Amino acid sequence: MSSLLSPEQLRLQDAAFEFAQRLPADMIERDRSATFDRAGWQRCAEFGVLGMPIPPEYGGLGLGLSDLLAVMEGLGRGLRDQGLLFSLNAHLWTNSIPILRYGDEEQKQRYLKSLCDGSLIGANAASEPDAGSDIFSMRTRARRDGDHYVLSGTKTFVTNAPVADVFVAYATVNPALGPTGITAFIVDRDTPGLVIDRKLDKMGLRTSPMAQVVFDGCRVPVAQRLGREGRGVLIFECSMEWERGCILASCLGVMRRQLDECVAYARTRKQFGKPIGKYQSVANRIVDMKVRLETCRPLVYRIGALKDANQDATVEAALAKLHVSESFVKSCLDAVQVFGGYGYMTDLQLERDLRDSVGSTLYSGTSEIQRNIIARGLGL
Amino acid sequence: MDNVRELVRRFILDNFLPGEDASNLTDSTELKESGILDSMSTLKLVTFLESQYQVEFEADDLDAGNLSTVASIAALVTAKQRG
Ligand SMILES: Cc1cc2nc3c(=O)[nH]c(=O)nc-3n(C[C@H](O)[C@H](O)[C@H](O)COP(=O)(O)OP(=O)(O)OC[C@H]3O[C@@H](n4cnc5c(N)ncnc54)[C@H](O)[C@@H]3O)c2cc1C
Repeated sequence: MSSLLSPEQLRLQDAAFEFAQRLPADMIERDRSATFDRAGWQRCAEFGVLGMPIPPEYGGLGLGLSDLLAVMEGLGRGLRDQGLLFSLNAHLWTNSIPILRYGDEEQKQRYLKSLCDGSLIGANAASEPDAGSDIFSMRTRARRDGDHYVLSGTKTFVTNAPVADVFVAYATVNPALGPTGITAFIVDRDTPGLVIDRKLDKMGLRTSPMAQVVFDGCRVPVAQRLGREGRGVLIFECSMEWERGCILASCLGVMRRQLDECVAYARTRKQFGKPIGKYQSVANRIVDMKVRLETCRPLVYRIGALKDANQDATVEAALAKLHVSESFVKSCLDAVQVFGGYGYMTDLQLERDLRDSVGSTLYSGTSEIQRNIIARGLGL
Repeated sequence: MDNVRELVRRFILDNFLPGEDASNLTDSTELKESGILDSMSTLKLVTFLESQYQVEFEADDLDAGNLSTVASIAALVTAKQRG
């Protein structure tokens, strides 16, 4: 099971698992009230999660992506708060990585250290009410006005927005150009004209706050443009490649925990005089959970190897995202079924895992969009 | 110019049309309408040409008309080189 990881990575993963178990476990209440764990965020940053893939000169630990994926899997196994893990992921892949890869020296110096040490929280403002899967049809405008751009438009589904300090936002400098007009910006929360319009309530990942964000004549200095004009698609696709490939590493840990819990339960819960695991229908369901976990792990760790070797992983990331998210939802559903009525009860926390999992086939591109990317990679 | 055309053709064939018969990509093949170049591949090609020829394309240069065929892309690169 662990041969995908080096002994050092296994040690990191164990340390992450142990660390995660020490974080607050008051999840049922925080899920109900949709409360973000700011202190938990800070402790994860201090543990090093946010700095791992960032070079030391920018305040990071300069470790490989594979190391971080191993840690994420360990956190997912030990931590019940999938919303917090989702927020950490969104911050890493849509803020830290694009700023590291496309930011100028001043931007890197200014933002990366604080994104690593947890003092700044990042958010990604790309989706719009009418531009979801067809993201490059976005309408938010960026008009040049002297040494500023004036941003106008509405962004939705912005993870972390209610608590974020900095937004990587996308807008077009000229709608007539289509995708090649799209440009990326780093927008500080206190920029006049940036309005956190309305908090969004959702089915799962409820401890990861989300809001609609309005840019209402928001004046962003030219120095805050990320990359060149018209290169936003490159930056967006860079963050999506990393996010798709990596965001589900923590879900591997959840799948592992559920598998262990199901095996233990099926061995002890007796009906009709026998442990339920002795009934083939129950055992096979758990076998399917095991098969899914074993087929998901190599897909995720392949992304680590590819990115650590500085290689393109567009199709591989889509494959990982598609297979892991679909498997994750199925396994969460199976876990509820194995536990019967108890699985459906809030106390056992498996129903929350299931609600949390459903978003995975939607965010960072839906399963349908991942299939489109893979089909294109096949020349179809 | 012919060299530029050849380089553009090679880049497109190698990166976006793996396994395709090279004779199917001519200087006048419609790249956008046929779906060979989408927004991402366009920007990958542009980034490559910029580093190869030490030129810079502005957002307005990337208008679909300028990038519709191998010939028009090569013409744009050549015009940029002349400054
Ligand atoms: C938990 C969560 C967190 C998110 N966080 C962020 C964030 O931080 N920042 C951000 O910008 N966005 C975020 N999003 C938005 C997310 O990226 C979009 O929801 C997603 O891209 C889909 O867009 P949409 O919801 O508008 O659905 P639509 O694009 O309207 O799709 C509706 C349905 O049509 C299908 N469909 C659409 N086009 C095609 C096609 N070409 N082929 C086949 N099927 C198609 C879709 O697969 C889907 O089933 C988040 C979403 C979720 C659920």
